[in-house]
Amino acid sequence: MSLLLGLFTTGIALTGPVRLALMLPLCLAIAVVYKTTRCEDLRQVPMAALGLWITIVIGMCAVGLGLWLLFMLMI
Amino acid sequence: MTERSPSLAAANEAALMRAPIAGFLAWLVPGLGHIFLGYRARGLIFLVTITATFWTGVAIGGVRGTVDPRERSLWFVAQLCTGANTLAAYGFNRAITPAPDPVDPSQARFVPPHWMAAEVGVHYTGVAGLLNMLVILNALTLAEFRSRGGSSARPPPKGAQ
Repeated sequence: MSLLLGLFTTGIALTGPVRLALMLPLCLAIAVVYKTTRCEDLRQVPMAALGLWITIVIGMCAVGLGLWLLFMLMI
Repeated sequence: MTERSPSLAAANEAALMRAPIAGFLAWLVPGLGHIFLGYRARGLIFLVTITATFWTGVAIGGVRGTVDPRERSLWFVAQLCTGANTLAAYGFNRAITPAPDPVDPSQARFVPPHWMAAEVGVHYTGVAGLLNMLVILNALTLAEFRSRGGSSARPPPKGAQ
């Protein structure tokens, strides 16, 4: 029990690309919940959620790349 | 002027009561509103996804750096949408936080040891709360739809009928 509580007591040290990789499960959760509310047949949810997840990730990477290019142009 | 039978009026009243009960249950435990309305598989998906997202965030950022109404009040409002999850996390936070120094209360301000992890944890828990807000609205919509005699998992858009 104390081991379980200790898991939630102190945070973990995040370094390097792990920080960006943590957006993947969060986007997946958003895609699953949203598509579960939208799809009438639950069998459609996995593929629909996968499609939305890929769309979100590609969209966020595109926005990040665009902002980075803008930043590089401005300095 | 039409007169309704007592059994029909009671059935309508029971149907009207389903929406607030479903909304409250959906707030208290993510997915419970849908399970109450009979959408068991859908409710279980919401329960697992939102609860896992919330507690993953708490594990990443630590409960003291993540669920903190004083330092992150707006995020705490978003987190509160997950109901019992946030109340449990906040109770845990209060239980492990030492009592403030009566001489200098400013010493009680908590600075997370890993600020980046705390930021990620706050985003996870806040997004879990906003997702549960979506689920609560969906449960309210389905409860109203069912009270009108609908049986589908998704009400038709306006103008489709």
